[in-house]
Amino acid sequence: MPIRFDASLAHFEGDCTVEEALPLNDWLLAEKGPAVDLRRCTGLHTALLQLLLATRPALASGPEDPFLARWVAPLLHGPKG
Amino acid sequence: MSSLFEQFLVESRELVEAAGAGLLRLEKDVGDRDAVNEVFRAFHTLKGATGLFDWPAFTRLVHAAEDLLDAVRDGRARATPELVDRLLAVLDQCSRWIDAIEATEALPADADAQGRRLAAALSGATGTAEETPAARPPGFDWLDGTGVADARPLTAVAYDPDPECFFNGDDPLALVRRIPELVWLRIEPTTPWPAGLAGFDPYRCVLRFRALSAAPQADIAPVFRTAPDQVRFAALPPAAPPAAPEPAPTPVAPPPPEGALAMAEAILREQRRALGMDAGPAEMDGRIAAAARTAAGVLAAIGRSGEVEAVATAAATARAAGRPGPLADHLATLLAGFAPAEPLLAAPFPNAPAADSRAARRALRVEPERIDRLMALVGELVVAKNRLPFVIRETEDLSGGTAPARHLRDAYDAIDSLTDALQDAVLGLRMLPLAQVFQPLPRLVRDLAQRLGKQADLQLSGERTEADKDVLAVLGEPLIHLVRNALDHGIEAPDARRAAGKPEAGTIRVEARQERDSVIVEVADDGAGIDAGRVRRKAVANGAVDPARAASLSEEEALALVFLPGVSTASAVTDVSGRGVGMDAVRTAVESAGGRIAIASTPGTGTRVRLTLPLTMVITPIMVVAAGGAQFGVPTGAVAEVARVPAAEVRRVKHAESFALRGAVVPLFRLHRLLDLPPAADRRSGDIETVLVLRIDREPVGLAVDGVRERAEVVLKPLSGVLAGLRGYSGTAELGDGRLLPVINLRELL
Repeated sequence: MPIRFDASLAHFEGDCTVEEALPLNDWLLAEKGPAVDLRRCTGLHTALLQLLLATRPALASGPEDPFLARWVAPLLHGPKG
Repeated sequence: MSSLFEQFLVESRELVEAAGAGLLRLEKDVGDRDAVNEVFRAFHTLKGATGLFDWPAFTRLVHAAEDLLDAVRDGRARATPELVDRLLAVLDQCSRWIDAIEATEALPADADAQGRRLAAALSGATGTAEETPAARPPGFDWLDGTGVADARPLTAVAYDPDPECFFNGDDPLALVRRIPELVWLRIEPTTPWPAGLAGFDPYRCVLRFRALSAAPQADIAPVFRTAPDQVRFAALPPAAPPAAPEPAPTPVAPPPPEGALAMAEAILREQRRALGMDAGPAEMDGRIAAAARTAAGVLAAIGRSGEVEAVATAAATARAAGRPGPLADHLATLLAGFAPAEPLLAAPFPNAPAADSRAARRALRVEPERIDRLMALVGELVVAKNRLPFVIRETEDLSGGTAPARHLRDAYDAIDSLTDALQDAVLGLRMLPLAQVFQPLPRLVRDLAQRLGKQADLQLSGERTEADKDVLAVLGEPLIHLVRNALDHGIEAPDARRAAGKPEAGTIRVEARQERDSVIVEVADDGAGIDAGRVRRKAVANGAVDPARAASLSEEEALALVFLPGVSTASAVTDVSGRGVGMDAVRTAVESAGGRIAIASTPGTGTRVRLTLPLTMVITPIMVVAAGGAQFGVPTGAVAEVARVPAAEVRRVKHAESFALRGAVVPLFRLHRLLDLPPAADRRSGDIETVLVLRIDREPVGLAVDGVRERAEVVLKPLSGVLAGLRGYSGTAELGDGRLLPVINLRELL
């Protein structure tokens, strides 16, 4: 399973597809202080990205994937826009 | 003036056509320099042509397009599919203007506004050129905020995914990840984020993407193959973060185009010639005024407005004197100032590049009506010639085979073979290449594919095959229809094709070739094919055939049912085709021209429709008969004999009439009744009836007419336009004296 929910921390692993959107949505709704670990994430579906952008969970660990690290991670760190 | 005006109409349409063809090639390969040059030359020459008349809006628009293409040629700007789109829009406008000019000799009232709108759109469609910074296309305002200054030319990408795109399997971020040489990326919500997730639909895409890449658009566009309508590109020049505000586009009067001088001279010469011709006082006054107006326009067009007043003075003197001398002399002086005259016809738009290949084609333009008239005369000549053998036989009988009779026969043989050669030569004059009917197809496929969200590659071959112009006239519409059908119903949507293991882009192949006396045109697609069973069921449901007959048909015969009225293969009616009138109309048109149509299809693999048409319009011998006060043609081939039947021998059983012919009972029809015409006024009972005995399906049938007038050999022209649907007539024929004669289709009528 590409997203492993570990209490208030979600581990994104490998290629995370649109299938994860609903579980992620529910988890984000349920958790008080959610945080995400993108370190081993290699693909992030747009549906997941926009959930993260809309809710801004804490970024426990940034992605190692160069594309995500350069263009996506800063959005999750930066000020909410 | 009028001949130049007409020449403009012809030339400008050709130029629009040439530019259009070049643009479609450019769209396939934005790096195609030949195509850029071809389009540039067409616009350039068109500008020169419009500049000679007083249509500033037209000239300005074409000038804007020419400038833009010049920038593309120099590498100051880059060709993009968007640029092609907008240039095509310009061409469409030009076509409309040419039509308006032909109808009213003036541009429509909104021409100025339309021209400015299109010119403004043009300036935004390509990379900003250094000298002439172009307006940024709408939706690229964000370029100011990128802070990127790159020494390389960049391509800006604005990607606004369809909110429903997740359902199509699209992952916009994954697409953006594949943009080559990504320099800068911004991901932003289309609307501000809501406070929480309540009401947030995770399956609706709310993000949009703005990117800069160092790769050319041609390399980026393929990434967005599945979402071409959701992405826009703009080319940026090197290290020029656009900051300067746009200068308002200033309409610039075009400098005299190359070639304009020779043209101007030709116009002045023509005016001077017109002044030299005899005319009544009133007419001469008008002619002087017109010549002065034209000369003033020409001078203004070539930047010699200062001399306009002198022309007006000379014209006033001439009008006061009531003779054209003073103005004619003034024009002669003006003409003397030009370089040695170039013959106008040899180079209608001198200095027009690319003229070489077309020069031959332009050598002589003849109105089709003149050739038709020649054809009709040759037909009558053949008929007149055919009377000679009887005369010769009579002479021989009288003189007993003496030398004069023999000489007469020799002379007849010579005339006979010359007439045949003449007929062939005239038919040859009417032959035109099929390229003419192929010409609208590329644009049709392009526009339709875009609208339907399909991809299709159109392959044309055999454009040089020639056929009679009337055959081409018949072929045009059906061909468009078949290609449209192939794209609409044949070629599947890209994902369906992918699922079927086919390349996403379908192929439509249109092939023409000559086979003996026929020209064969095939339209083949590699689409879904037609299910013969479904055609069969549909035809039965529509009552086009009865179930028993439908069941007995072979696959091939069942497919041919699509040509019956009301049988459409499409399950849904689209706005493009599928109403079931199309294939029927195609068949009718082809058959009315003496052609045949055949269809073959393999479900899953594609459909092939073959049209077989006569190479030349066949010369049909006809009899001119009278009925109900009018005259009609009846093909002589269908008439076995002309019988004279005493009216008393016609038997009537209720409404059915018959008569006896050599012991057999032959049904009798009256032509005026079949055509719903009143009987001839002077008919009395007790008369002798003139009856054409026809052989239809080997059964003799009598057709009573009011009289047989003459025989003729004619070129049968199928009915066109609104008359095309008229049953009972196979077409019209022009007689040698210019009369138009409806020719009856006996099979349909009886």
